[in-house]
Amino acid sequence: MGDIAVRAEGLGKRYLLGERLPYRTLRDSLARAARVPFRALTVRRREAPSQGLPASPRYLWALREVSLEVKRGEAVAIVGRNGSGKSTLLKLLARITEPTQGWAEVQGRVGALLEVGTGFHPELTGRENIFLNGVILGLNRAEIRRRFDEIVAFSELEKFLDTPVKHYSSGMYVRLAFSVAAHFVPDVLLLDEVFAVGDHAFRQKCHHRLRETLQAGTTVLLVTHDPAVAEQWCSRAVWLEGGQVRADGPSASVVQAYVASQE
Amino acid sequence: MGKTDAQFETRTSSVLRLNRRETLVVRIQPSRRWGFPSLGEIWHYRELLYFLVWRDVKVRYKQTVLGAAWAVLQPFLTMVVFSLFFGRFAGIPSGELPYPVFSYVGLLPWTLFSQGINQAGNSLAASAHLVTKVYFPRLLIPLAAVLALVVDFAIAFGVLLGMMLYYRIVPTSAVLWFPGFFLLALLTTLAVGLWLAALNAQYRDVRYVVPFLTQLWLFATPVIYPSFLLQGVWRVLLGLNPMTTVVEGMRWALLGVGAPPGRMVWASVGVVALLLITGLLYFRHTERTLADVV
Ligand SMILES: Nc1ncnc2c1ncn2[C@@H]1O[C@H](COP(=O)(O)OP(=O)(O)O)[C@@H](O)[C@H]1O
Ligand SMILES: [Mg+2]
Repeated sequence: MGDIAVRAEGLGKRYLLGERLPYRTLRDSLARAARVPFRALTVRRREAPSQGLPASPRYLWALREVSLEVKRGEAVAIVGRNGSGKSTLLKLLARITEPTQGWAEVQGRVGALLEVGTGFHPELTGRENIFLNGVILGLNRAEIRRRFDEIVAFSELEKFLDTPVKHYSSGMYVRLAFSVAAHFVPDVLLLDEVFAVGDHAFRQKCHHRLRETLQAGTTVLLVTHDPAVAEQWCSRAVWLEGGQVRADGPSASVVQAYVASQE
Repeated sequence: MGKTDAQFETRTSSVLRLNRRETLVVRIQPSRRWGFPSLGEIWHYRELLYFLVWRDVKVRYKQTVLGAAWAVLQPFLTMVVFSLFFGRFAGIPSGELPYPVFSYVGLLPWTLFSQGINQAGNSLAASAHLVTKVYFPRLLIPLAAVLALVVDFAIAFGVLLGMMLYYRIVPTSAVLWFPGFFLLALLTTLAVGLWLAALNAQYRDVRYVVPFLTQLWLFATPVIYPSFLLQGVWRVLLGLNPMTTVVEGMRWALLGVGAPPGRMVWASVGVVALLLITGLLYFRHTERTLADVV
């Protein structure tokens, strides 16, 4: 793959709608399976209304035929309207969900920040959550231990380290969560609209940290709603519409075209 | 990232391999519908497994007022109730053993099993916030739920030692078989737990069935009564339940009473192997779409 950090070819994801799985019951499924042999006998007669049965599944292609290449160290913004498939693209690259079609290759350690504080447990203390969250993000224990003091200093929560996070204010919670995430330097970083949090000073700090991460050569895919953020951080932008790539190019022009289409 | 760690192949959606520059390349593609979870990958994620177990244990002991004492109280109080109602009032025989220690030694693995299948069964649905935000082999979730209960088992085991001292029961050399029966208990719990976890993520009515199933299973396991009360075909049916072998086996191994479980062990190992293999296959099958449905 050489200096290509992310490559996707014809990537597609189809979701099942209508018969959303969590609404299925084992009872219905078993009953339906038991009816199969009998249905052959009755099918000639008037088609009975299928009251008990859910509507036949409908599919939604959240992403379709997406191909792209991202060079190592490149920062790419993913823009597009709600439901255009931005999060789905990141979830596929992070292996959270499987593609229905196509393939992708990602080189190096992947860090997915689809939300901050994934896996935080309210009953555990700040210290305990730093470890838990760090391991969930993909750090190992030795790495966390090495960066522990730095993480704590970044969060400015030294005094509350042994307090369960359920007693934290939401601002403190976010600060701790961001501090762990900010000290995880993967090869490929996937960020999903996790920008607009914290107070101004803390946000500055996070931006500073992101700049350092970029300078360290990390490849970044950044999903954002904010044209300003896209242009500030990324030289390139990919515009998704209806699950397909509508435009891919220098962020200034792509973002402008996207904003123009919104008006 | 160490070379050996990265050099496993998975049959799942992603194949990890090293390229010439020794960096990890992850291949993402649709996976086969049926297959087994990759053990190499579980090993790769062992540190996360450790932390998930640690979290479960820690949170459980923080959340209950009694903390670790809860692990003891639950089987102990059940034993007291059983001893009163079944041992004393109903006069259920317990062989050469006093009824309290007879039932307690059965309640130890039973508690592990019943709590294990409940918690493993709910574990995927309860971890939706993780499953939809980060990748790791989902098998770690029910696995951690079961392993976290081993700590409870160890604590409750201490009470058994106290009871043995009190009743002056000295274990025989059969005690060497104890680890085997303990492993069988763990694997049985895991196998049933995997099935329930996967079913529970797919069908919303499964969790209402689990308490009922647990109750039926208790009566099909010689915890309250000794298996010598049953004869003929009932005895054989009872033997197909691996928890029978576990309970009888532990009684024999720890307290030196009864006959060694003999051929019944192989029947149980067979049943557990079948449940585990099919459970892993079914789990892997549901894992493919898990993040989309929870
Ligand atoms: N688990 C799911 N099941 C069914 N449909 C889904 C699921 N997740 C996302 N979708 C649908 O896929 C489309 C793309 O969603 P998403 O990638 O989250 O868009 P974006 O992040 O661009 O707003 C949307 O129409 C959404 O409703
Ligand atoms: Mg989104």
